[in-house]
Amino acid sequence: MAALPRRIIKETQRLMQEPVPGISAVPDDSNARYFHVIVTGPEDSPFEGGLFKLELFLPEDYPMSAPKVRFITKIYHPNIDRLGRICLDILKDKWSPALQIRTVLLSIQALLSAPNPDDPLANDVAELWKVNESEAIRNAKEWTRRYAMDN
Amino acid sequence: MEEAMTSSQGGESDMDYSDNECYDEYYNIHDDSDIEQIDPRKIDPEYFEFRCLLEEEVDRLLNETVEALSSILHISPSLAKVLLYSHQWNVNEITKKFRENPTSVLVSSRIEPATTPSSLLLTRYIICPVCVTPQPLDKFYGLSCTHMFCKDCWTMHFEVQINQGISTGIACMARDCVVLAPEDFVLKHLQRPNMREKYQQFCFQDYVKSHPELRFCPGPNCSIVVHSCEMKAKRATCTQCKTAFCFRCGCDYHAPTDCQVIKKWLTKCADDSETANYISAHTKDCPKCHICIEKNGGCNHMQCYNCKHDFCWMCLGDWKSHGSEYYECSRYRENPNIAHESVHAQAREALKKYLHYYERWENHSKSLKLEEQTLTNLKARINQKVMSGLGTWIDWQYLFTAANLLAKCRYTLQYTYPYAYYMDAGPRKELFEYQQAQLEAEIENLSWKIERAETTDRGELENQMDIAEKRRTTLLKDFLDV
Repeated sequence: MAALPRRIIKETQRLMQEPVPGISAVPDDSNARYFHVIVTGPEDSPFEGGLFKLELFLPEDYPMSAPKVRFITKIYHPNIDRLGRICLDILKDKWSPALQIRTVLLSIQALLSAPNPDDPLANDVAELWKVNESEAIRNAKEWTRRYAMDN
Repeated sequence: MEEAMTSSQGGESDMDYSDNECYDEYYNIHDDSDIEQIDPRKIDPEYFEFRCLLEEEVDRLLNETVEALSSILHISPSLAKVLLYSHQWNVNEITKKFRENPTSVLVSSRIEPATTPSSLLLTRYIICPVCVTPQPLDKFYGLSCTHMFCKDCWTMHFEVQINQGISTGIACMARDCVVLAPEDFVLKHLQRPNMREKYQQFCFQDYVKSHPELRFCPGPNCSIVVHSCEMKAKRATCTQCKTAFCFRCGCDYHAPTDCQVIKKWLTKCADDSETANYISAHTKDCPKCHICIEKNGGCNHMQCYNCKHDFCWMCLGDWKSHGSEYYECSRYRENPNIAHESVHAQAREALKKYLHYYERWENHSKSLKLEEQTLTNLKARINQKVMSGLGTWIDWQYLFTAANLLAKCRYTLQYTYPYAYYMDAGPRKELFEYQQAQLEAEIENLSWKIERAETTDRGELENQMDIAEKRRTTLLKDFLDV
């Protein structure tokens, strides 16, 4: 396996030394490009109190290509589908090599605070979020309690 | 390559125009005398001036435009290319806009940043934000936005983008920066010859596709580019691979039906297959560049990978004007509220109508293939006759002319069916179908006579050819709207 680029080493070091509040990202023992991520549900959001597991992988041409990120914990969110895939512009066409693992995870955390049903990935969830926001939020809280707590 | 340059400058030589099928000679019998000044557009509704260009010739044509613009505006050819690409190669429009407000043109064409860049910290060593390696300042490069990155990172960025098929659209590496990397900047950072070549090839394709007067010949493995100043749905025939196609949409030529209708029709015809079902269920055409897009995620905010247009999957409207109105369009689809009791009857009726047109369309397509077979047999029989002394080769040439004309007429007839299918009922449709029936009758007559060529009088056959072609031209004159 090719040597790890300096960029990845530096980012990993900084993530360890100055972790982002509410986010932990630990590289896998056997693969330094694979990160086990835990994001805590932001305060005043329906995800508050939950711990959400994600996986993050840095592809061969990172940082020229975006990292691949996916929720492992089930989550009721209009921009995250049943498979945990995330609809986030910086993971797609708005990716820039100047962005980092840190900025990506922060954006994901922000997405939990501010769901965007106008740009939905999970259509049924987005629909409900638009039509009956209080019921959607109840669902999100219920899912958080059921899947993202006590682990 | 003289042959690839069949030019067609009006009256100079009518032989050259549009294609070199034999029926042209048939026309030209009359042209020797004194009727040369007549505008060919008036006689022939399908008249189309175009040239087939080789890659070098296209390069020359594009470069002339690039040089013209770069000397008018005093900018580098590389920047001129960016401007031309984003303005469909319209030099006048760019020049006019540039004279009015150069900054706004440069910003909207993504040559310059919208906000003035902050001044640089000029230390001897800086850290590249991408590879986080400290390097001397002279190893750093940036675009007009002055976002600086090291040489190696630029190279890697360009290679990754090029491998994804992106060329004219490669942007700066900084976050949210939309400034494009012009050709000279990219090439300066690409050393590997295959990468440079790939990049230039992709750029060339983008330039041709963005140029309204140019179109790639759709023939398999054909590198010819057709050039015409008339951007119309007319027939262009490649001089190299002989592929005939519609200059506007690049599909098989389809007069009198127009580009949108024929596309709709062909998709409908392919409806039986699973692929077609999948395509209609999972793909739509980009409302801007019309490339076929497969929806492979749940997100309804689509961005075309080809032209970067943002649109809504539900209603195909521009995403920008969409925002909170999004659910208006999805709700509308939920409540079509059709009279349910007659749905089955309606569907059956619609199917009956469709099958009527489809069977005829399909039948003429099969006839075209069968008549090709007839022509092959005819050739063999003529060969035999000539060998056994029954006339000379030249004596029988009129039969080939007749067979070619038949193919041409039947081709048009085939394409009148989709036209009729989508026509609204009324006197115009009645007239159309009357003319169509006339054409059909004369074509079947002609086909009959050609199959029995040996026993048909030559004069009679030529008369029939004349009638069939007149019917075809009349129909096109009345209904071909390009």
